[in-house]
Parts: sequence; C-alpha cells; structure tokens
Amino acid sequence: MSHIHTFFDDWVTVFNLVVLSYFFLGNGIYTILMLLSLRATWVHQRQMAYQGLEALRHSPLTPPVTIIIPAWNEQDVIVNCVRTALQADYPHLQVIVVDDGSTDRTLDRLVKSFGLVEMDGAYHPSIPSAPVRTYYINPTVPSLLVVSKVRGGKSDALNAGINLCRSPYFCNIDADCLLERDSLLRLMDPVVNSAVQTVVSGGIIRILNGCETRGGRLLKVGLPRTWLERFQVVEYLRCFLSGRTGWHLLGGTLIVSGAFAVFHRATVIEAGGFSHDTVTEDMDLIVELCQWAADNHRKIRTSFTSDPVCWTECPSTLAVLANQRRRWQLGLCQTLWKHSGILFRSRYGIVGMLSFPFHSYVEGMGAVVEFLGYVLVPAFIYLGMIPSRLLLVFILLGFVYGGFLSVGAVLLEELTYRRYPRLKDLVTLLIFALFENLGYRQLVLYYRFQGVLKFLAGSRRWEKVAHVGATAEELP
Amino acid sequence: MVDTSDPVTQWAFMIVVSVVMGTFLLIAVALFRRWQQIRYGRYVHILQLQYRPVLARVLSGARRPADIDTLRELPLSDLEILFEPLFSRRRLPERCLVFFQALCLELGLIELWQSRLASGRLAAPSSSGNGANHESLGRSGTRIFLQAISIRNLGALRHRPSWPLLIKALDDRRPEVQFVALRALGAMGAPASFPVLRERLHAVAQGNSPSPPLRGLQAAMASFDLACVPALLPSLGHTDRHIRLHSTEILRTIVCREAARQPRLALTQQLLTPQIVELLLAALAVDTNSETRARAAEVIVFLADPRATPALRNLLLDHQWFVRLRTVQALAHLRQSAAPLHLQIRGCLRDSHWQVREAAIRTLLSLGPEGTNQLYEHFLTSPNHTTRNQIVQVIERRGLMFKLVELYSNGTNGVDARMVEQLAIGAAPLGLSEVLRTLTPEVRLRFLSRFFSDAEAKIRFHEGKQPDVESTLSPKHILDFPPHLAA
Repeated sequence: MSHIHTFFDDWVTVFNLVVLSYFFLGNGIYTILMLLSLRATWVHQRQMAYQGLEALRHSPLTPPVTIIIPAWNEQDVIVNCVRTALQADYPHLQVIVVDDGSTDRTLDRLVKSFGLVEMDGAYHPSIPSAPVRTYYINPTVPSLLVVSKVRGGKSDALNAGINLCRSPYFCNIDADCLLERDSLLRLMDPVVNSAVQTVVSGGIIRILNGCETRGGRLLKVGLPRTWLERFQVVEYLRCFLSGRTGWHLLGGTLIVSGAFAVFHRATVIEAGGFSHDTVTEDMDLIVELCQWAADNHRKIRTSFTSDPVCWTECPSTLAVLANQRRRWQLGLCQTLWKHSGILFRSRYGIVGMLSFPFHSYVEGMGAVVEFLGYVLVPAFIYLGMIPSRLLLVFILLGFVYGGFLSVGAVLLEELTYRRYPRLKDLVTLLIFALFENLGYRQLVLYYRFQGVLKFLAGSRRWEKVAHVGATAEELP
Repeated sequence: MVDTSDPVTQWAFMIVVSVVMGTFLLIAVALFRRWQQIRYGRYVHILQLQYRPVLARVLSGARRPADIDTLRELPLSDLEILFEPLFSRRRLPERCLVFFQALCLELGLIELWQSRLASGRLAAPSSSGNGANHESLGRSGTRIFLQAISIRNLGALRHRPSWPLLIKALDDRRPEVQFVALRALGAMGAPASFPVLRERLHAVAQGNSPSPPLRGLQAAMASFDLACVPALLPSLGHTDRHIRLHSTEILRTIVCREAARQPRLALTQQLLTPQIVELLLAALAVDTNSETRARAAEVIVFLADPRATPALRNLLLDHQWFVRLRTVQALAHLRQSAAPLHLQIRGCLRDSHWQVREAAIRTLLSLGPEGTNQLYEHFLTSPNHTTRNQIVQVIERRGLMFKLVELYSNGTNGVDARMVEQLAIGAAPLGLSEVLRTLTPEVRLRFLSRFFSDAEAKIRFHEGKQPDVESTLSPKHILDFPPHLAA
C-alpha cells in the first residue's frame, strides 16, 4: 500500500513540476518575444515613416504577384473579397479565384457581379490537384480569372491556383478577408529588400467585426460589440504583434497565417505544394519549406511583418469559436507530429532547436498540461497533497502574468500602429486585456484540449467556420 | 489556507504584487502615449490650419514676399512638419521641382538637412519658437529618424549637389540609414554618383564588403537615366560572373523603363557606346551564365544593330528554357520591326516548355496583324491539340473572340474566317457560345446565317457526335473537316 502511496506522491510531484515548467517556459519565452517585438516593431514603423511605399510601387524590381482566393460555399463574402483584392494597390497584380466545388451560389454570384463569361482553358499542373472544370473571365477585367474545380479541400484549391498562377510570387487570402489597399505592397517590401531569397512573407490579421465596410473597403475601424469578439481582438494583438514578430526576429517563424501570406511560387512547387495531410495547410507548408531548404542546402528566409493588414471575421458565437479552435489545435498537432523529425536537430537551426520544440511543448502539449493543471492543481491543494503556497505561484503564472502579457501587447499596438483611434477603444482594449486570463483563456483552452483529443482519435475533419456577415453583402 | 509567514509564500506574494504593479504601469504608459499623441495631433492640426493657406499660395507660384517672410519666421522644425506631406505621400512632380528646391534653400531647410548629414549628429534648428520642441510631443526626435528624413528629403528634392553626403551615409553602420540613402541616391540620379555606386557594387558582389545591401544598390543604380549606362562598361565586361549578372540586370531595368516611356526606343551605338553594344552581342549574349544571357536578350531586343537579329535567333534556340522564355517575351516590344523573327517566334509555338509556347502566343498577338496571322496560321495547321488549347485560351482571355466573331459576321474572309469556323466546330466550345450569347441579335443572326450557309456539310460533320475539346482537336478530326473548312 505504501508503494502505491509513494508512487502517487511521486506522480503528483512530477505533474506539478511539468505544470510549473510549462507556465514558466511559456510565460518566459513570451516575455522575451514581447520585448524583442517592441523594439523591432518600433524600428520598422519608423522606417516605414521615412521610406514610404512610393519607391517600391514604382520600382522596376517589384515582382508581379497573383492573389489566390480559394472559396468553398462562400456566397456571402466572396464578392467583397474579390473586390478588395482587385482594388489592391500593387503594380503588377492578377487575381485567381478557385471555386472548390461550392454547392451554394458562390460561383453564380461571382459570374453576375463581375460579368464573367465561360472560356476554354489550358491547364498545366505543376503539382497535383483535382481537375479544373470551368474557366471564367471578363476580357474587360483582364486581371481576374475564376475557375471552378472538383472539390478537393482548401489545400487542393490552393494547389490548383498555383498551377494557374504565372507570377513568381502568389498571395493567398481567405474568402472572408478584406485587404487594406497597400497591404500587398507592405507584404512584398521584405521580399524585395532582402538579401536572402524570401520565400514566405506573412502579415498581420486583424478582426473586422465592429468595423464599418462598404464594397470591399474598410471605412472605419472600431471594436466589436460582444465580449467574445473583444477578447479575440486582444488575443490576436498578443499573438501577432508579440508572438510572431518575436519569432521572426529570432529566425524561427513556424506559423504564418494562411489567411494572408505571400509565397515564392517556384519554391513552393519544388517543396510539393500545399499538403492534404493536415487541416492547417499554412503551417504545414512553412515547416515543410524549412525542412526542405535545410535538407537541400538552400538558403531561404521566412518573414513576418506586422504592418500589412488583412481584416477578417472572427467567430461571434461560442459554437463557431469552438469549431475554429479545435481545428487550429488539431492542425497544429498534426503538423508537429508529421514533422517531428526536425525536433532538436541542429541542421534545422533555430526552427529545429528552439521554435519547433517550443511549439510542441507549449502550444501542442501545453493544451493538455494547462487544462489538467487547472483541474488537478486546485484539487491537490484542497486535498493537501501539495503545499498551499503553490496556489499563489499557480495564480501568478496562470492568471496574473497572462494579464501582464496581454496588456503588453495592447501597449505595443499603442506605441506603434494605433489602429483603434478612439481613446474609448484603447481603454476598452486595456480592460479586456486585463481580464483575458480570467475565463476567456480557460474557455479557449478547453476547446484546444478537445482539439488534442480529436488528434489522438485520428480525426482529419475540417470544421467550417460560418461567417456571420461582417464582410457579407445582401444576396440578390 | 495559505501560510503567509512562509518565506516562499512571501516571495510568491511579492512577485504577484510586482507583476500586478507592472501591468498597471504598462496601462499607464499606454494611456500617457495616447495623451501625448492627441496633444501632438492637435499641435500639427493648429499649425496646418494656420499656415497651410500660406504654403498653398507659395506653392501655387504666386510669389508674395509676405508669405515667404511668414514661413521664414517659423522654426525649422515646424517647417518640416508643414512640408512633410509633400515629401512622404508621392513623388514630387518634375515641373515644380526647381521652384521647390529654391524654396527649401531659401527657407534654410536644405542647409539643415545637409548639416545633419555632414555632422552625423542632430543639428539643432537655427531658430526657436513656440513649436521648437514639438518633436518631444509625438515624433520623438531620435537621431536616426531625423537623419533618415533628411536623406529622404534631399533625394526627393533631387538636390544633386548633396550626393557626396548621401554616399557618406552609405558608410553608416545602421542598415536603415544605408537603405534610405540608396533610395535617395536612386531618386536623385546624380551622374557623378553612378561610378561610385558601381565600385560599391563590385565590392559587395565580390564579397569584399558586406554593405550596403546588394538589392538596394541594384535598385538605386537601376533608377539612373540611360545616359549613365556607359559608366557600366567596366562591370559588363568584368571577369567576375556575379558582377556581369548584376550589371546586366541593371542595364536591362534601365532600358525597359526607358522603353516604357518611349515606345519606339532604339538603342544606338551613340546611346550605349560601341563597346557596350559589342559586349552585348559578342559576350553577354553567349555568356556562360544563363541568367546573364536571359537578361542580355531583353536589351538586345532594343538594339539598332543588324547583328541583333542573328543574336536573338540564337537566343530563341538556347538550351535553357527560361532564356528562350525571356527572349520571346522581350520580342513583344519589337512591334513592326520584328518581321525577320516572325518565323522563329512561330517556331517557339512548338517549344517543349509550355511557358515558352504561351509567351510566344502573347508575343505574336502583340506584334500586330502580321504576328496575329502567323498565330492563326499555326493554329489552323498544327496537329498539336495542347498548343491549340493554349492559343484558344489566350485569344479568349484577350477578348479577341468578340472581334473575330464580328469580323466573321461582317463577311470577312481569309484566315480570320477560317479561324472562326474552326473555333465554332469545336476548338472553343465554351468561349464561342458565350460570345454568341452576349452579342446583339442582329450580329448573332448574321453570324449564324453565314455559318450555316453550308448547313448540310456541317450536319454531316456533326452527325452522331457532340464535339468536345479533346475529340475535335485531334489530328484525325482536323482531317475530317469539310473541305472548305480544312485549311
């Protein structure tokens, strides 16, 4: 009996150490990332203030870009998304919409809104994709091509888009996104001005809910009305301004949002295109590219810049949020598992030695550790199995420090881009940042935990996130 | 439950309190920054309200001494705020450049910017006044920021006497300053700075110097006028393949930009010097580096030299597909003078690489009626259904189907009519029907009445089968066409 008791005590000690190390590691690294981001974002913002985009706009070295928009049952948002893409301020631009076998009126709406006619097309697949059925054009809008293909999923639609793309770079955006007019130029700035070939350049995603839009244009920036959406605004700021900028500075970019990123076409084709193995094809491709480049002794660079903005809808109900977060966590686990070979391998540099292990432990396994921590640590303390003083440490790490990081992200936004012009919005953001870790974080954690369970169960199902209509138009 | 006398608990408690205080400190900083920004915004707004009409009058050319005096009374820092939108929003137009330069000189701004660069330190504004310390309000006056602004403004003004200062800024250890200096040098385009930049290019390309960045250097040099090209000779003929590649790329960019300005650009020996022409034709067109050959092809296209045609012919047959691709793409610039190369371009329609074929189609279409006829002839005679598909696609994307159908409806004969008939009987099953659907009833009627004038033959042809792209484009079916349709 005493053996069992000793074993149980040991197990509790180990568990406590794991939980504490998780919080220490996560919070510690996020603090470093925040400090790094603060300086880098400040410098970048100053640079843009005196450099501007004029030189890039008129530079003969600015390469052509094709915007690829994969769409599946996006009838409410697709027209505005295409409009915003066509309005993008970029010298050489093409837009390809890949309708991935929609069963609603997505294609119909595109045909009517842009006066498209069917055409005969020649398809030269460089990477495999489901067959393209129909091509649509309007000769008076030569920069737009719409194709309809057999359903094969988002990654398949993106692969079809890559096959149709003729420019050296392509930018994929989601159908529920609105681009700022100069965001593509800003996104290409690090590509054009980098000494090393930049194969991926990602921008920031901001939340559209609460903003005023018309005809694919953002008229006024504002905060959403519901608490759920406001917490997501803070979360996105923390994630993009602190996290991703910091990882970019360290050279360990592992995640670039697939909703808005530029890729070097030839390199993506060489790496095999978007994979069907995971539900987060964007992250999968980035890791694949890093792995491929190291294996083939190619010097490439992935970039993240926090001023090219793409506005997107965020879930406004708990059910939709749950779907989204489960999918993200499932995709993260799938990708980490698929590329586990690069873990702690020095040939993959910062990605293999720091970024990938961090994402595996803090972002992947962390969902389980933190979830169990919230459930078991208070229970152990209540049962007297661990010292009560640990409660303070746990509160510090789990609740208070998280608030510090979230407020830090809002401060970062205030010091640099200041997208929310009203003082009232800033105060609201600070309040929501302060309380983000008291309830919202735990809620999201629960969904992430479900995502891990789905991964363990072997699920590969894509959970579609319904759009409520921040970018939507009335159906004719 | 928690034992507060325990040292660990006390430590934890202290850390919790510190973090909470730190959080509130961050909140205070955020609110303070916002307050500062609002104050600065108000200051700029008032300044603009007060002085923008004066500035507008001065910029309109109505030179009133009173207005100039009013501006002169302002502190230089305020003047910079007033002038900022003129520099940051768009390129200054050529016509007002001289006047604007004179104005900045008169107001002492150029001197201020030059002194900031010359000393490498922050020069204090020469006059003081109500807004002298505005920079502490929102745009904090860090040294790098003011230096960069000064460099940018001198470049935007194209104040050529300042080029040595900008070259000096290239030696700054901060990449941001180097970068903006390169852009300013490019915008300024001072011919005397070009050889200096060329030497920098050599040093960077050979790895002797890590800075300034190669791409920035290349972009800056590519912004110079065509008149500076002779200074590229040492780079174009350099033994180092990297230097040859980068300089050919610079030459190509300058030439292509010039060609966009002057549609009938012809590069003579006077423009480029006989040595550069010779280098292009004898060395760069057959360079060991295929990237250099590809770029050279794009320049050779504009050469007014009889040796250019054979050189281009060879480049169209290069063993590297992207050299062929870039050559055939460049030939689109030739317009009417491409006649001797029409057959070679048409030959590219049989290239093994689909991108070269597609580029050849586009080039032939851009070469006017002669090129279009060559393309149609190829379409009518080629048994290769992949190329025919590509041709159909480009024709439809360019909206040429409408023109073809209209010509056919109006009774035009020849290659256009045969083309329409082939498209109608299956080569373009979707595009043509869409075009017919959108035509006016009269044109559609004329088209159909002409097309079905030989209805019996067509019915025989269509008997028992509905045409689709694959089946109708096979060589067998092309041979099966009614005699008057099979060209």
